[in-house]
Amino acid sequence: MNIELIFQIAGIGIITSIFHTVLKQAGKEEYSVIATLAGVSLALIVVIRLIAELLTSVKDVFFLH
Amino acid sequence: MEILQIVGVGLAGAVLAVFVRERHKELGIFVSLATGVIIFLFALQKAGAVLETLVQLAARANVNMFYLVTVLKIMGIAYMAEFGAQICRDAGEGSTASKIEFAAKILVMVMALPIIVAILESILRLIP
Repeated sequence: MNIELIFQIAGIGIITSIFHTVLKQAGKEEYSVIATLAGVSLALIVVIRLIAELLTSVKDVFFLH
Repeated sequence: MEILQIVGVGLAGAVLAVFVRERHKELGIFVSLATGVIIFLFALQKAGAVLETLVQLAARANVNMFYLVTVLKIMGIAYMAEFGAQICRDAGEGSTASKIEFAAKILVMVMALPIIVAILESILRLIP
């Protein structure tokens, strides 16, 4: 039960949205898209690790070898 | 009181997901996905103990292990398909969710086929 991961992903989301807004206000549309992409990729890495853990434990528990 | 832990994680995850989803839809989906996975992992630890006991009881009752493992596999497929389909439906991809459910039904049918064949064979043996 590591709730830190939820806070981590939510933090990535909030920081990404701040970057997005700031870069948009500064008139750098293209950089704001890249910042959003980076945030989504970071969150995806964390989530994919979590899903891999889930899938391995489901495989172990339900004999899905 | 583990239920309080689960409720706390769920509430925190739901609030954060709603907060993030307003600004970034895809990151909100990640937050709700992570919340779901963490709760599911927690429940799975408990389910593992229950299933182990079930397997031991079946071994003591001389139940054929093949059938029990098939039933457990079907349970696993159903749980995982439900999980994935709900995440997809949350993300607004209802058609992908239906396809996951369809594939899960097919896989369950494939898994259950040997059991159905065994039942039919024993019925045929009863008929003279």
